[in-house]
Amino acid sequence: MRPMKVSLFVTCLIDIFQTDVGMDTLELLENLGCEVDFPEKQTCCGQPAYNSGYVDKAKESMKHMINVFEHSDYVVTPSGSCGTMFREYPHVFKGDPVWEPRAQMLADKTFELTQFIVDVLGVEDVGAKLNGKATYHTSCHMTRLLGVKEAPMKLLNNVEGLEMKPLPHNYNCCGFGGAFSVKMTEISEQMVDEKVQGVEDSGADILIGADCGCLMNIGGRIDRKGKPIKVMHIASVLNSR
Amino acid sequence: MAMKIGDKPFKERVSDGIGNSFMRGAVSSAQGRLRSGRLNAAEELGNWEEWRKLGEEIRAHTIENLDYYLELLSENVTKRGGHVFFAETAEEANEYITNVVKKKNGKKVVKSKSMVTEEINLNEALEKAGCEVIESDLGEWILQVDDHDPPSHIVAPALHKNKEQIRDVFRDKLGYDKTEKPEELALFAREKLREEFLQADIGVTGCNFAIAESGTVSLVTNEGNARMVTTIPKTQITVMGMERIVPTWEEMEVLVSMLTRAAVGQKLTSYITALTGPKQEGEVDGPEDFHLVIVDNGRSKILGTAFQSILHCIRCAACINVCPVYRHVGGHSYGSIYPGPVGAVLTPLLGGYEDYKELPYASTLCAACTEACPVKIPLHEHLLRHRQEIVEKEGKAPIFENLSMKAFSMGTASPSMYNIGSKLAPKALGAFAKDDKISDGPGPLKNWTEIREFPAPKKDRFRDLYKKRKKERGK
Amino acid sequence: MMGAGQVYNRNSFLDNLAKNLGRDRRRQVEKPAWNHNPQWDVLKDASPDELVEVLKQQCLRIHTDVHETVSAELPSLIPHLIKEYGGKSVVTWDDPRFDEYGLSGLTGELSGDEIAVHVWDCEVVEENLAFSATADVGITFSDATLAESGTVVLFSDKGKGRAVSLLPVIYFAIIPKSTIVPRMTQVAKQVHDKVEKGEPVPSCVNFISGPSNSADIEMNLIVGVHGPVQAVYIIVDDK
Repeated sequence: MRPMKVSLFVTCLIDIFQTDVGMDTLELLENLGCEVDFPEKQTCCGQPAYNSGYVDKAKESMKHMINVFEHSDYVVTPSGSCGTMFREYPHVFKGDPVWEPRAQMLADKTFELTQFIVDVLGVEDVGAKLNGKATYHTSCHMTRLLGVKEAPMKLLNNVEGLEMKPLPHNYNCCGFGGAFSVKMTEISEQMVDEKVQGVEDSGADILIGADCGCLMNIGGRIDRKGKPIKVMHIASVLNSR
Repeated sequence: MAMKIGDKPFKERVSDGIGNSFMRGAVSSAQGRLRSGRLNAAEELGNWEEWRKLGEEIRAHTIENLDYYLELLSENVTKRGGHVFFAETAEEANEYITNVVKKKNGKKVVKSKSMVTEEINLNEALEKAGCEVIESDLGEWILQVDDHDPPSHIVAPALHKNKEQIRDVFRDKLGYDKTEKPEELALFAREKLREEFLQADIGVTGCNFAIAESGTVSLVTNEGNARMVTTIPKTQITVMGMERIVPTWEEMEVLVSMLTRAAVGQKLTSYITALTGPKQEGEVDGPEDFHLVIVDNGRSKILGTAFQSILHCIRCAACINVCPVYRHVGGHSYGSIYPGPVGAVLTPLLGGYEDYKELPYASTLCAACTEACPVKIPLHEHLLRHRQEIVEKEGKAPIFENLSMKAFSMGTASPSMYNIGSKLAPKALGAFAKDDKISDGPGPLKNWTEIREFPAPKKDRFRDLYKKRKKERGK
Repeated sequence: MMGAGQVYNRNSFLDNLAKNLGRDRRRQVEKPAWNHNPQWDVLKDASPDELVEVLKQQCLRIHTDVHETVSAELPSLIPHLIKEYGGKSVVTWDDPRFDEYGLSGLTGELSGDEIAVHVWDCEVVEENLAFSATADVGITFSDATLAESGTVVLFSDKGKGRAVSLLPVIYFAIIPKSTIVPRMTQVAKQVHDKVEKGEPVPSCVNFISGPSNSADIEMNLIVGVHGPVQAVYIIVDDK
């Protein structure tokens, strides 16, 4: 069978701060038999500007990204939020005769990592092994806007040695929200504190998530408070052997 | 009380909210209950998405043809002997209403819960005209007795108060001498308000849905106060925001079914009362005179704009009940009688960015509101749209943000600029990093590291590692 | 028939709306057929007996007592229930169904127990309200009954005062089984059809689901605020 050709959209947070998550994603996809390339001209999906109201400026990054992934078969990203942004592109370029159709093409072939594994590859057990008690943070954009609800849990439930604990109030946002986290710090603090409390109450010693933004927020707070909870991206969990 | 509540700046309001631990406990437990109530009610139907689509269709059609349906409504109200006043402003509405009251020589006005009369500050106008005004919704009454404490939720206005506080208010203001048991407090209110109802000459109500085809006004309550207000006084004045209308009884039925489920998880509230004109010949109870006041007060500016769908709102508060920001800051932080996501969208449209430019940013764009909305208003997209307006049309964004967004655009639209920028990151931030993390960051990171650690940028970026790996593998 | 009411400021107001909507005033609008109609699916195939079951189940959730009887038993059940619930004064509608179901002798039957009965009377305006305001029990028939939500629907009329179901402490609704429909949809359709035919809509249509209540104090459900503290439904087989 011809291997599935996948272009990795690694996101700027992973490129600069969480490089290991990028490597885990790459290895994981390769182990699942995909032929993975990394278009080096990729930058950022434009969300930071878009969500701050700078739509015109965001469009410049968006057009660039549409060009970068023009010839990819599939675009896979280890971030529900950045994947959602790609899926939003047609909406952003609505009515633009040149860019709307091109944005639509990118949106149609973009998948969040777990969504790609479960829905496209049809795999629910990636053969991972990790010992511990973990809980999973359902990030908002991935769950509500991208609509990826089941895939992460299907994969995590099949990780050998991993005991999954429910996260109380899992539907509440962790308080990241991009610029919100620095613009509305006082509110963000309350939100992330409740989230950390929930993780503690779950009895888990590992917090898993599928979005680096949320994980930087919750993890940064856990770290500041000195809580003995390990924070892992789902790509790293699924690439554990 | 007008739409605006309090004079404190946004930051102070938020700090007050966050510091109010009782309020926060009350809000989080209310959110828990209302959320599960709504979800259970939706699940019971089994096809809630179908209902939402129908709700959206009805609202979109009605607002798109609002002039037609309002004309039809007014025709049908007058056919039944009622009077209709179209008020472009709050002042016009108040003037008409006080004139009606004066003509009737009304002294005592009883009101059922209505957000629009709060918005236009009707109580103050009536009081100035020498009337005694009594709120009859239990929550509203508690707030009124407590020297006009503002509401903090559009369905449960006194959500921020606990039973001990309520007991004290009743004791200090009305000589109440029983305990803080909710049943005893409510019984006291029942007895007090019953006297008022029986003596009142004017009843004022809001309106959940006016029905164009028959000139009917429908009211959704649990306590029965709206029935009291429309059964006993001789004159009834109903005040409605101009968008509170449906074409026929069939749409009223659908939206009421959705409102009660989305608001409180009930299949129907205890009372849905549909009133058409004054009482008919030979009828004993009900008003002899009926006036309908239709209020614009800034709403028409929203028509024809990208924000039009906010006028689809049916005031169920489902968005408020799931909002993780409202959860921690409470209703008063929004500085408006319309709090939460709907308030953050609507308030700046009605009250302007000058007073309310922070509200669209008081959201993580988590979209819990959009998901909960029974009529599918894309609330988080409206918040984004506000930010866009503030930045691009109003030019109200801070200069620093403007500059950094320019830099962002340059850095992300061009791979070479991105390359340079991202490569510089470890060097630029290296001085602040310790053990792979930054605890006291510079510039925009300062706010981040006030409460959390920030990861230090890696020496090799993913793209560098990828390149190395590719080379090693000799591909 | 009373005279028509007045309208003020309509044209300038509506012209402005049309202008903002970017078009001329619309004088004729055809309401579209909606693409989704889930409301008609609820309890679509339920039999009359199943509807009674649904109604009874829902009443458990809305703190409403239910009694079932056959029409022959109704004349003895009602006085019995009035006494059981401790009623000392009773107000009822002036509605031909009280006669049809053999309830017109209520006044005499209860006088022995010193229970006062007032039948709504449009000739004596103030007395109706005064009596109702202190009455223990108000009794009406249901004009339509919604199984799904446990709702009785009352259409106001001359003998059918609004206060009877509102002011007394306890409210009795007599529900002929034939009045039970799946949900609000059917009744709304019925009223809509009336309007289409040019028939007048009652001045007050009440949809009542159990006793009055409030959750305004710490979200605790308190039953009985301004309206009745207790609601009692009596389902009766039709005559």
